[in-house]
Amino acid sequence: MAATTESVKADAAEAPLLNKRNLFLGVALYCVFYAWVRWYEGVYGWSAGMDSFAPEFETYWMNFLYIEFVLEVSTAGILWGYIWKTRDRKVMSITPREELRRHFTHWTWLVCYAVAIYFGASYFTEQDGTWHQTIVRDTDFTPSHIIEFYLSYPIYIITGGAAFLYAKTRLPTYQQGNSIQYMVATVGPFMILPNVGLNEWGHTFWFMEELFVAPLHYGFVFFGWSALGVLGVLNIEMAALAKLLKKDLA
Amino acid sequence: MSASQSAVRSRAEAVKVSRTFDWMIIFTLFFVILGGYHVHFMLVAGDWDFWSDWKDRRLWVTVLPIMAITFPAAVQAVLWWRYRIAFGATLCILGLLLGEWVNRYFNFWGWTYFPINFVFPSQLIPGAIVLDVVLLVSGSMQLTAVVGGLAFGLLFYPGNWPMMAPLHLPVEYNGMMMTLADLSGYHYVRTGMPEYIRMVEKGTLRTFGKDVAPVSAFFSGFVSIIVYFVWHFFGRWFGNTAFTTGS
Repeated sequence: MAATTESVKADAAEAPLLNKRNLFLGVALYCVFYAWVRWYEGVYGWSAGMDSFAPEFETYWMNFLYIEFVLEVSTAGILWGYIWKTRDRKVMSITPREELRRHFTHWTWLVCYAVAIYFGASYFTEQDGTWHQTIVRDTDFTPSHIIEFYLSYPIYIITGGAAFLYAKTRLPTYQQGNSIQYMVATVGPFMILPNVGLNEWGHTFWFMEELFVAPLHYGFVFFGWSALGVLGVLNIEMAALAKLLKKDLA
Repeated sequence: MSASQSAVRSRAEAVKVSRTFDWMIIFTLFFVILGGYHVHFMLVAGDWDFWSDWKDRRLWVTVLPIMAITFPAAVQAVLWWRYRIAFGATLCILGLLLGEWVNRYFNFWGWTYFPINFVFPSQLIPGAIVLDVVLLVSGSMQLTAVVGGLAFGLLFYPGNWPMMAPLHLPVEYNGMMMTLADLSGYHYVRTGMPEYIRMVEKGTLRTFGKDVAPVSAFFSGFVSIIVYFVWHFFGRWFGNTAFTTGS
């Protein structure tokens, strides 16, 4: 009887398998932040973003870019550093229930990665198409590029890196080596950012506004395909979860 | 706790955990695939999809299905061949269309002020449903590629016809014959206009309907078959669970 009571108490005090608060707060954070960014674009894109030689461009857009750089490097350093520093050094000896809890946390990171990928690769990338079909650029750092390339891409890279590091440091499933498709799904989209170097170099070299479907953009396409690496992650996770859930019930 | 023990304490909890993972996985798959597919599609077929004056009877009909069948083939290769889930193609297309509609509304209209009836995305759902249904009924990758791929190309133009027909009506403007879509384009001049003048509706068989569209759709269906095969194997590769074996 006493043992049973003890067990019930332990259950009541135990952390939930899925922390729904963190899940909803994580998704809400991206959505609210990007809603604010879209508002900023709407107000200052037309009023201060059309002439890169104008003083207001420096005030509203170049300063935005400098702040982004500082915040992104700091966030990546602190977040990735924290996940690595607090890694579980006895990850192979955790209980099945703790492992399941960590899989839920891992999927919370992946849900956030999905939201970040959506905003970066879909929302702000196609937005760039309409902006540059409307406004002829006179600099590489246009209002749409400052948001697309230098804000939304680093944010999904930071989120994807965090998901990968979390899996690597806390889940037994990922201790046998590095999952090739997990690396494809995170490193591939990351490579879109270095590919911006090729893109911007090309735009300074040729007049490329006439066609969005231009060979200069095909690097983005190639690395966009790597999002399909999530299918490999799905298969690894399904096998791990099936193993955890199909064991004998206690 | 024994190594053979379950992570859950009852069958009811196992079911609940499993359902919760289902939702998290579907959400993640949907939006990650949406992102990858959309960046692919806008940069290999985008101009024909962005603007109604680019939606002509030749290149639009040819290019879009060929470029659109890629991700559906890859996702089917995992969702059907590993899990017997028969909505891989429709999932991809719904994701792509969601990404496009949100963009056309909030950015093409909301930021750069093009009217929605000039920037609405192309319709791809009929072809995706047929692709999924052929796979479900036949269970065969070859049949899905040949029958489904061909249908994906052939159905594209009729699937878009209800939305495009009014914009393909001929009008005479300042002594020139053009479509209503062309006329809209001349009123909304974009930086892509020189390529539009060079590429859209050029050829020896320019008409306001008739043979060019079905010939283009048939050619598109033929190439879609080949692309389906290639991307099916891409999908299998992306679905592998291999790990690097480092030191």
